[in-house]
Amino acid sequence: MDAEKSKLLKSVRMHGFAVIEAQLFLDSHPTCKEALEYFRKHQKEYEEAVAEYESKYAPITVSGVNSDDEWTWATKPWPWERSEN
Amino acid sequence: MWQYKKKLEYPVNIKNPNPALAKVIITQFGGPDGELGAAMRYLSQRYTAPCNEVKAILSDIGTEELGHMEIVSAIVYQLTRNLSIKEIKEGGFDTYFVDHTTGLYPQAASGMPFSAATFQSTGDPITDLTEDLAAEQKARLTYDNILRLADDPDVRDPIKFLREREIVHFQRFGEP
Repeated sequence: MDAEKSKLLKSVRMHGFAVIEAQLFLDSHPTCKEALEYFRKHQKEYEEAVAEYESKYAPITVSGVNSDDEWTWATKPWPWERSEN
Repeated sequence: MWQYKKKLEYPVNIKNPNPALAKVIITQFGGPDGELGAAMRYLSQRYTAPCNEVKAILSDIGTEELGHMEIVSAIVYQLTRNLSIKEIKEGGFDTYFVDHTTGLYPQAASGMPFSAATFQSTGDPITDLTEDLAAEQKARLTYDNILRLADDPDVRDPIKFLREREIVHFQRFGEP
């Protein structure tokens, strides 16, 4: 995987993970202002990183498929392959 | 409902196949304290949970466990790539190979197939949440044992991530 793609995927994973952590914490602390702020920050950065990755490389969700020429959801590699990590 | 994200929660990039280690790690796919059982446990228990916050925790941790099942499966898949018959025999992988080739099958390291008999859904929130706390410790212990058996840093890295998640889940289940 080229360096730019790898860096962008790392950013997707990092903010995606922060969102999961915030989500679980907020489930048991649903009015924690600090956690809500943390969630908003990383959710925004996650969405931006996903949009950039999907526009340059491959879909992460079906809503990110570029359907102009082919069904990239199926034609691009799957994430359990070494080359995709 | 669920929607798939076409990425792993944590990366898996293993250079060297190792069928003997795959046969051990597969226990966290379909074994008694594995990720499939964890996901099924929480996603079964959530319907009768007493309040919305507990429904949220069970739904979200159950969902994350599905992502962990995918990481464990990716580790086993990459550890069993391009094996020769000699490597399969020498790694003790022949007893798995004869039934499944290198397909992913949910089983314990001992060969016992996945069973819902490894978990409960009682309809009693105190009982269920107490089981969930113990389940996270049992999974953490299994990852500790895998770390005792695995030398390869490419394998240890995602296993350490999974181990840490058990500790966070234990914390969350203790809060309601």
